[in-house]
Amino acid sequence: MHWYGEAGNLSTDPAQCEERILNTAAIPSVLCNWEDLREAGLITSREEYIRAVREVAVFLAVKGIAADLDTKDAALLQMVRTLDEMDEVINLLTERVTDWHAAITPGTSHKYTRANGPRLVQKIAKSGSPSLKRVAREILSLSGVRTDLMKEVSREAVSVIPNMSALVGGLVAARLISRVGGLDAAAKLPGSSIQVIGAESALFSHIRTGSSSPKHGIIFQHRRVHNANKEVRGKVARQLAAKLAIAARLDLYRGELDAAFVEQANAKIDKIFGGES
Amino acid sequence: MIDIKGTLVSEGQGGVYNERMLGNFRVWDPYRSKLAALWYLDKTTALGKDEVVLYLGAANGTTVSHVADYVESVYAVEFAPRPMEDLLAVAKKRKNIVPIYADATRPVRYAALLEPADLLYQDVAQPDQAGIAVKHLPFVKSGGRLILMLKTRSVDIRKSADEVFADTCEELTAGGYLVEKSVWLDPYHKDHAAIVCRKR
Repeated sequence: MHWYGEAGNLSTDPAQCEERILNTAAIPSVLCNWEDLREAGLITSREEYIRAVREVAVFLAVKGIAADLDTKDAALLQMVRTLDEMDEVINLLTERVTDWHAAITPGTSHKYTRANGPRLVQKIAKSGSPSLKRVAREILSLSGVRTDLMKEVSREAVSVIPNMSALVGGLVAARLISRVGGLDAAAKLPGSSIQVIGAESALFSHIRTGSSSPKHGIIFQHRRVHNANKEVRGKVARQLAAKLAIAARLDLYRGELDAAFVEQANAKIDKIFGGES
Repeated sequence: MIDIKGTLVSEGQGGVYNERMLGNFRVWDPYRSKLAALWYLDKTTALGKDEVVLYLGAANGTTVSHVADYVESVYAVEFAPRPMEDLLAVAKKRKNIVPIYADATRPVRYAALLEPADLLYQDVAQPDQAGIAVKHLPFVKSGGRLILMLKTRSVDIRKSADEVFADTCEELTAGGYLVEKSVWLDPYHKDHAAIVCRKR
């Protein structure tokens, strides 16, 4: 098939051409030839041919991009990335402000007597030099925004990826799909990959040098993984990741909570977590 | 190819990606574009004025814009949505670019749009780069050229660049190409080789 149709049925209208292009099942033995259109009198020159084929290609591209970018997880991805970047900014500023405070306040530079970051920032926000005080206040207000955003991410995740959220909580679930670039990418991954998302450097060093393989990546942030006894932590991570792979597919293709699946999966994970297997 | 005192340029309207200008000519930076790097290393790979080019892996359209300055028309294939938006913006200014939003591993999906090409230029970050080139063989005129920019690190990071290169050449030969020459793009691009072939 050619985008402009066959002899006797030629046209350059984008909507008609779209159908022809999408219905092409094999590479045609004879490719498009611009002279076909000129002989039929639809165009008069080579430039006109390029203009026409361009119009069709741009029409398809604009449509395709719009469809691919408009997924319901797109907003969630941006939110969770914003959240993680805010964390980084807050930590960086907190560190700087405490150093600054230590430098101008005698008797606070000792490592073991220094108050911890967030509490010290609160103290500095009340009493410090004017600029220092303002920076500390900014950090506190950023932390407030961060807390609200975190709640929103969890809420949004429960509605966009209900099954994954039911297994590991909205925040961790959102981080998982943000790391792989979206729900459809996550749904294509096997459990073993989901298990080590976020532990890429350990994974590749394992592949390259044969050091021991990572047991968990981002899913370590889930309580049943990091609270598990050391002996069963790997098992919990493996089982959880396997169930997450199924949950991702449920979320992508069905989009609603499957209570029976979640209950069964959680029971199985809890059993391993409790030491039985 | 036009060069001004040893600097590769192309003739066209500037301001595509903040490229430097020399008079009315756009400077084509070998550190940003592999095709420019290839020209600096091997001056025989010229683009012809009447050529139809099929360009796989068009990305944001920086190299595409220079190619379009030289040749008759460029069919540019890209499958990532964000870079594709940039490519569409580039194609707005250059009327001989046909931007195709599709996956180069599935040529059937855009086969109906293509004409026979004089040059197949391929620069994709995919594991099966030789396979993609072979799949596109039907779109190359007989005697037409293939310039494949091999990203060895995309193929298999566990293999050395030389191994990947040897495997790729073998696959291209088996698939119907005649490997004419190859150039490693050091110092401009690390672990990248340009393989120039002709359709048998």
